[in-house]
Amino acid sequence: MKSSFFFSLHRQLRRFPLIDTARLFSLAVLLLLLFPSLILSQGLGERVQRFTLGNGLRLLTLERKLSPTISIYIRYRAGAVDEADGKTGTAHLLEHMMFKGTQTIGTRDYLREEKIIRRIEKIGEALDHEKAKGKEAAPAALARLADQLKTLQNEQRRFSISNEIDRLYTENGAVGLNASTGQDLTTYQVSIPANRIELWARIESDRMVYPVFREFYNERDVVMEERRQRSESNPEGKLLEEYLAVAFLAHPYRRPILGWPSDMSYLDIAYMERYFRTTHAPNNTVIAVVGDIQPSTVLKIVEKYFGRLTRRRLASPFITEEPRQSGERRVEVSFSAEPQMIMGYHKPPPPAFMDHVFDVIESILTRGRTSRLFKALVEEKRLAESIQAVNGLPGARYPNQFVLFATPRHPHGCIELERAIDQEIERLKQERVPDRELEKVKNQIRADFIRSLNSNAGLAGMLSYYETLLGDFHYLIDYADTIERITPEEILQAARTYLIKENRTVAMLVKKPLNSIQR
Amino acid sequence: MTLKPISKNQSFRLPVIVLGMIWILVSSEWVLAASLPPLRDPDRIRYQPLSFEPPRVERVLLDNGLRLYILPDKELPLVQIKAVVQTGSIYDPSGQEGLAELTAVTMRTGGVLGMTGDSVDETLEFMAATFHVSQNRDSGIFSFSVLKKDLDQGFDIFSKTLMQPSFAENKLLLGKDLKSEELRRIFDDPQKLAFREFGRLIHGESPRGRLVTQESIRTIRRDDLIRFHKRFFHPKNIIISITGDIESREVTILVDRHFGSWTSPEGKPEPPPLPQLPEGNIFFLTKDLPQSIVVIGWLAPAKRDPYFYPFEVLDFVVGSGGFRSRIFQEIRTNLGLAYSTGSFYSAKSDYGLFGAYVLTKSESTVKVISRIKGILQEMGEKPVPSEELNRARMAILNRFIFSFTSAEQIAFQRLMIEHEGLPDDFLVTYRPKIGKVSAEDIQNAALRNLAPNRAILLIVGNDKTYKDILRHFGRVTRIEATF
Repeated sequence: MKSSFFFSLHRQLRRFPLIDTARLFSLAVLLLLLFPSLILSQGLGERVQRFTLGNGLRLLTLERKLSPTISIYIRYRAGAVDEADGKTGTAHLLEHMMFKGTQTIGTRDYLREEKIIRRIEKIGEALDHEKAKGKEAAPAALARLADQLKTLQNEQRRFSISNEIDRLYTENGAVGLNASTGQDLTTYQVSIPANRIELWARIESDRMVYPVFREFYNERDVVMEERRQRSESNPEGKLLEEYLAVAFLAHPYRRPILGWPSDMSYLDIAYMERYFRTTHAPNNTVIAVVGDIQPSTVLKIVEKYFGRLTRRRLASPFITEEPRQSGERRVEVSFSAEPQMIMGYHKPPPPAFMDHVFDVIESILTRGRTSRLFKALVEEKRLAESIQAVNGLPGARYPNQFVLFATPRHPHGCIELERAIDQEIERLKQERVPDRELEKVKNQIRADFIRSLNSNAGLAGMLSYYETLLGDFHYLIDYADTIERITPEEILQAARTYLIKENRTVAMLVKKPLNSIQR
Repeated sequence: MTLKPISKNQSFRLPVIVLGMIWILVSSEWVLAASLPPLRDPDRIRYQPLSFEPPRVERVLLDNGLRLYILPDKELPLVQIKAVVQTGSIYDPSGQEGLAELTAVTMRTGGVLGMTGDSVDETLEFMAATFHVSQNRDSGIFSFSVLKKDLDQGFDIFSKTLMQPSFAENKLLLGKDLKSEELRRIFDDPQKLAFREFGRLIHGESPRGRLVTQESIRTIRRDDLIRFHKRFFHPKNIIISITGDIESREVTILVDRHFGSWTSPEGKPEPPPLPQLPEGNIFFLTKDLPQSIVVIGWLAPAKRDPYFYPFEVLDFVVGSGGFRSRIFQEIRTNLGLAYSTGSFYSAKSDYGLFGAYVLTKSESTVKVISRIKGILQEMGEKPVPSEELNRARMAILNRFIFSFTSAEQIAFQRLMIEHEGLPDDFLVTYRPKIGKVSAEDIQNAALRNLAPNRAILLIVGNDKTYKDILRHFGRVTRIEATF
């Protein structure tokens, strides 16, 4: 049932899987804002049950009886940072491929189908190799290989059944079926009627080990369209991509989750399988089940289906550390759009105490109409249309950033905006935050937490996120006390240490004149 | 990475010996499973029946005509309040488009009797209340959430916002400035741009299709807001839902204490006439992009129309029912020509809109449009095969339970049924009516509503794509975005 009218279209457009960098970011923001009041946290901490299977898979359950529905999140501690150089976009394309079925879902005869899949892979690889020669590529070879590929793909269709995973979920009443790829983690989520949990276990345990990468080359094209949509046609996406590439010199956080276009065009099945085997293993997985369930029943089903799976050796790739920044970096992006800017600083990730302090700074600066930057830039000086601080980009497994996004209001520009933001940051370094202002922010963070307890999906998302990221969902429960302890002096200290020019990157989008197009 | 590439077979076969060893660690009951018997066919899993009676929402009518829907839910120390007002941008006077929206926004920001806007903001944010307003085509929605302990003080501000807003001049100016900047930036967001223009085109000459522009914003003054507020914000024109940590009787008393003496003027504003089906046409809006945005649509059955139910199923089959829906399956999965594609059907009590959309690289625009038109046309030419129909109906029936996942949602559903003037039993009869939809109903619905020559087709794309479209479809009307 839809209750909203035409305005919801926008959301509808964006609802399809899969990576939603933006959505993932906002989730991270939300997650970092949350913390429990004492009573609620103790209640929650006790109500969540944690189990670990023999193969290392961790399961969190939380019973909530409001309606006969369940929300389930599966998170793997693996994302775009775990890709090899030259293979950017693999984690995200894999997440798409995980919807293509398994050896027992989506096939009419897997043994025969598999032979064709292997031939497709071989021809596809040969075609890519030829294409990669660029101008040297032999047109005849290209045509022959493309033709062979097409014939094989048609042949495979005789044995495969497309989009079976989605079909099974959808007709059983699932909503919110989605997945997302982040720098740190990969997530598969769904909400189902309470009596359908066995269907979920059947599908998910199967694709955790036996996915079949059907329609690989078509899906690679889909992801190129996704890139056109999110980055090449979208000024925010484009600016953020270039910002991160400059803000991080060496750490993989510098690479776009979607991948660089030339990598994306040639992603291959062989590397994807290798990535899959060393990341998608029960011992790298957290599942959270929230809703109308009995924990013991859920455990039984999870043991039955996921207990079959074997522990695997995980990739422990060497991740390049980001060297200490030694001076301001600036980047300019020319794009035919109104100006906007991003400005950010390196800082430690959770569970560091300092990360909590930046959660508070984020709220002081931009949460609500009374926040400092909204008040000064939007209301009083009328320089900005919008201003938003986000603590924790682009991930949280490694040292990350505190970032400000701002759009100037015509006729003002980014330089003016930067100066005004600088003034407020300077104030944070010079003046103690008044007690009442700090109390307000703490009240808000506490209330946000309570509100976040109001949905099965929200709870499953938070619990699984912290359990996967930090190894213990109790981070969430202890968060309250930590935030409560933060003093004005610690905020001063954080601002003086991290919010300095040598530690920051500034990106500005500069309007490119439209070629021959009248506005 | 030091791992050697593994052979294809290995990558999908588990070494059974290792499996056995791990299994010893798990409960013995499951050790038997270590031989990995074939998994059950997911279509043959049996499910326990699900029964659910949503909690009853209490309806209260105050003496002055204000209607309340109340549903206590004590899980969390929170109270959620939503007021839905019979107003909206359809009532914007010609030349003053944006008035409804600015009225709602300035009610929220411009202060109330006895308090400045800044002081309202300070008070609400210190108690960590949230207060959002949205102005749609045919409703204004004021959503308020407050901790139980702050209900009295919070409700005082909430009620004054509706009854006695001050409309401070400086906050109106801020609102106008921000709206104006938003308009300047619409051209930067291709999707927003496309759907905004499509909304204008599909509504033809109706006021529902009029757009806010820099010029219309400029003409709006404080007096206009005061008049607009007076005309629409009164008890007989508002329905409120209250859910959360409350007692029904106490909250009724609270509402009565604040709103009880508020009165309604005589007469009721007439909504403008419904849009008429415009002439079909192809429109092109030029923007230098590597990817085109295509929207094609028609006016469609209202919720009161018996064809509403077939249309729900039709929309599901065509493009909103997940990966298997026809447009998604063909354009995205089979052809790899889009990331975002599908259909939408939004019905109101008096009319609806249906359409399909796709974002595809410039070079494939013509091909994708042709395929989508073909899929849409087929709905009127051939009955939906029974297996596909059964699956669509089953999905809609099975997911219906998600309309009732929180007290807030349940109470708001009831409220909206009354707001839209739908029959009381609308939700009760929804499932059986979906269950009865036949392939013939769907085909008739398509024939009646999706006439190919009446389609409004809008493409936002680059100059080269314009030439392709012109060459292929012959007749194209170029439009410019109006801001």
